[in-house]
Amino acid sequence: MMAWRQRWDRILPHLVIWPPLLVSCAYVLVFSVWTTWVSFTRSTLLPDYSWAGVRNYTAMLASRNWQIAFTNLFIYGACFVVLAMAVGLLLAVLIDQRIRGENLFRTIFLYPIAVSFVVTGTVWGWLFNPSIGVQKLVHDLGWTSFRFDWVIDRNMAIYTIVVAAVWHGSGFAMALFLAGLRSVDADLVKAAQIDGAGAWRIYTRVVLPTIGPIFVAVLVMLLQFAIKTYDLVVALTAGGPGLASTLPALVVYDFMFQRGELGRGAAAAVMLLGSLTVVLIPYAGFRAWQNRRGAARV
Amino acid sequence: MPQISRRAILAGSAAMLAIPTTPHAQGAGGAKPKVTVISQWSAGSDGAAITTLGKEFERQGGIWEHNPVPGFTTEMMNKLRAQIIAGDPPAASQLKGPEIAAWSKVGAVVNLDEQVKEAGYEAVVPAELARLSKPNGHWIALPIQAYRINTLFVSKKAADRIGMTSLPTTWSEFNAAAEKMKAAGITPVANGGIKWDDGMKWEIALCGISPDAYRKAVMELDAKTLQGPEVLAAFRQFRKLGEWSDPGSAGQHYSTFIPRYMKGDMGMLLMGGWAQGVFKNAGFQLSDYMVGPAPQDDGKVAFDLNADEFIFWQKKQPEFQQGQKLLAKIVMGKAFGPMYSQITGSLPVRTDTDLSDPGFSDGQREAARAMSEAVKANRVVLSLAHNMAQTNQIAAAMIDVLTEYVHDNRIKAEEGQKRLVEAVDSIR
Amino acid sequence: MSERLLARAAIYGALTLFAAFYLVPLAVVMLNSVRSTEDINHSSVIGLPSVYVWGNFAHTWSSYCIAEHCTGIQPYFWNSLRMVIPATVISTLLGALNGYSLALWRFRGDTLVFGIITLGVFLPEQMKLVPWAIVLRDLGLFNTISGLVLIHVIQGISFTTLFCRNYYVSIPADLLKAARIDGAGFFRIFWRIVLPLSPPILIVTVIWQFTGIWNEFLYGVTFSTGENQPVTAALIALSAQISQAPQYGQQSAAVLMAAAPTLLVYLFGGRYFVRGLTSGAVK
Repeated sequence: MMAWRQRWDRILPHLVIWPPLLVSCAYVLVFSVWTTWVSFTRSTLLPDYSWAGVRNYTAMLASRNWQIAFTNLFIYGACFVVLAMAVGLLLAVLIDQRIRGENLFRTIFLYPIAVSFVVTGTVWGWLFNPSIGVQKLVHDLGWTSFRFDWVIDRNMAIYTIVVAAVWHGSGFAMALFLAGLRSVDADLVKAAQIDGAGAWRIYTRVVLPTIGPIFVAVLVMLLQFAIKTYDLVVALTAGGPGLASTLPALVVYDFMFQRGELGRGAAAAVMLLGSLTVVLIPYAGFRAWQNRRGAARV
Repeated sequence: MPQISRRAILAGSAAMLAIPTTPHAQGAGGAKPKVTVISQWSAGSDGAAITTLGKEFERQGGIWEHNPVPGFTTEMMNKLRAQIIAGDPPAASQLKGPEIAAWSKVGAVVNLDEQVKEAGYEAVVPAELARLSKPNGHWIALPIQAYRINTLFVSKKAADRIGMTSLPTTWSEFNAAAEKMKAAGITPVANGGIKWDDGMKWEIALCGISPDAYRKAVMELDAKTLQGPEVLAAFRQFRKLGEWSDPGSAGQHYSTFIPRYMKGDMGMLLMGGWAQGVFKNAGFQLSDYMVGPAPQDDGKVAFDLNADEFIFWQKKQPEFQQGQKLLAKIVMGKAFGPMYSQITGSLPVRTDTDLSDPGFSDGQREAARAMSEAVKANRVVLSLAHNMAQTNQIAAAMIDVLTEYVHDNRIKAEEGQKRLVEAVDSIR
Repeated sequence: MSERLLARAAIYGALTLFAAFYLVPLAVVMLNSVRSTEDINHSSVIGLPSVYVWGNFAHTWSSYCIAEHCTGIQPYFWNSLRMVIPATVISTLLGALNGYSLALWRFRGDTLVFGIITLGVFLPEQMKLVPWAIVLRDLGLFNTISGLVLIHVIQGISFTTLFCRNYYVSIPADLLKAARIDGAGFFRIFWRIVLPLSPPILIVTVIWQFTGIWNEFLYGVTFSTGENQPVTAALIALSAQISQAPQYGQQSAAVLMAAAPTLLVYLFGGRYFVRGLTSGAVK
């Protein structure tokens, strides 16, 4: 009886742990492999499993849409991730100073994430529009030489998307950081205070290093935002002026569904994910190395 | 995974092989005729019109189930795609232009030949629409409404300010009027600047310069015409239209500008006939603007056509087959056009429709007259920007070139034309 | 002392500035929600109401006609709740469990498993549309709310696992060691030690899942029909189409009402951020 009980106790955790882990892995692997496979086929309106070689890839690489979108992704991705992280961390630290009205401020910073991308894009589109938005408002106040027309400037349109995306995502970064800051052992901070460390020192030396994994969570979260950005652009600039602010997710959707070129769209998606691994593989190596060190220590 | 694929292929080929059943076995089951319909018409006058169709369907003894997919055509097609994959297509769905031919290859469609013949329908619809509705020689889709793309709306207040009393009839008159407006501090062109709007401005320019060149270049993709002087002239006119637009038009829907347009701060709008319904819903009167055909250099009538259709998907259940017959009968009937078009502001597709009913506007009557004249003169062309002339794949590639061109003054007209030729070559 | 005062003033000043920036779009939408269509069409989408129109809310909530049903967004709103609550709860629980086992019960290959799961957050929605259609067909869940719940749970696990795992790794190893020496098993440790430490990350996870699923549009429209559609479908139906005059006032009212549940989650969840809760529970 006892033995059965013990064995059951040992097995049960595995029964609980494995199904969700396996399902999540299978989902990622099966869907990625399927898409990769389709990218090598002649699929048009529906999946069609006849082999097409690398034709879809060469066609996508040669298309202007893809070239512009891919360049934009780097500009937009870098600006958005850096800015949203900086703003998010700053807000989290400010809120963490035992301030009055924490609830109010936190809710104000967080609410944008509740607003869908379509609405975000539409409203920022109004504000950026020189004929009805901020520029007009300032003109009406009397400063008529004021110019704020990024949204119609081919070189600046992509930055309007950055602003709207930072507005949307930085609050969530703040929430994650705040959760992290509050997981820090209060004793550690107290000990540092007793040692006479200033606020800046406590943050840079004690607090931030312990929430390193939260940085990773925020980074991954923002990166996936950047890569998947779709509705925001559609509502804000519609990819324009011309094609100037298009992004890869728009190209994927455009080819897969609007043009009925499932194979080419899949090729674009695979290249998008492929470019991501360029960022992720060095990081994974770093983590593995760190883990080994960590394991040795424990 | 191979299992999934094999099953998909099997399902696909089974659907292809399915024999077009001729549903004469009515009454056997005694079930009421039924249709499931998907469209993107979920709200506003489009939603109201299709609801009216549903009510009529029910009045004639059917069961009507409409599943609108809100948003844009692409979302509607995603839904159709998903339902075809699931093996449960709707009895009928909204689809237009050459996509009818493309989609008829991925799912089994209903052959409507017999019913069309019985109704004598082919003789009363524009040949261009008949051609789109029977891609392989058999009727598989039915047109439900048409719009004229090459339509010009002039703000009454702006016209008054420059003393314009009638619409410009040629591009040079148009350009002269635009210069006058500009001098008077009016933004001459009130269009927006998103892809389809850009594509439309170019196509209206080309159609106004030469419908024959339009037919050859856009509909037949004739290489020589694409490189010819008419297309170049269209690019030049297109550039002017762009420069006369609001500097903030990039990425904007044309409706953003309606308030300024009606105030007389903006002058002329090149837009399909549906703009009338939009003005009406926005609270403006017919006296607020002038409407008529867009400039036509040769002075003869030309009609740039946009039309919506229903395609019919094969269903095994007899009640659906009966329902499809009933729906086809209603849509082809003489009463359908007035019923539907009076709500949406479109044109009935039957050229023998009487538009004297007070439910129609003068704008609709003028456009309908233009359509039947253009049909007789063989001067109907199909819209590029609204996916009537080419499959989405080709149209999208062409519109990409046009939208980049109009928003970038550094691209010369010759260069724009060259890029258009290259874009067509790369997918032809 | 005055230096401290200055620092406090700087903190509040910065927070207020940021708050103003975050509030501008909300103000625009709120103002529009009480303006009439004519008012907006005759001036601009940015401006003060000439007359306050409160009817926009009642009209969009219960009588606006979407797809032949003049029921407003109300029924779609309940559909969204029926979808979002189970999907959020299940995916958060599974994510906490996954995070716990990956962070604190290390096993061979755990990093690889975590890496694969994390990759899941990067898969673009567009890419997964057709495969999900095939999966739903094979499971017979096409056009059902359960089908949507399934999609959101499976896609959500990637996010929830990521958040929870990265939070749990900062739990001091000593705590667990002590518990294990006391003879506590897998579930006991989760229940007695890890869960009480979790409120901040669970609230983040819930916010993420709730808002993400609530605002999702593509799957909601593609994989459900008619009266089963989520509220986002209704919102899009209200928004501008090529041949429609935009109804900004009603749209704005609808947007505000649709965002209400998420805002409530923040307001009620907010107190779980409070510092001290964790240390109190552990010791």
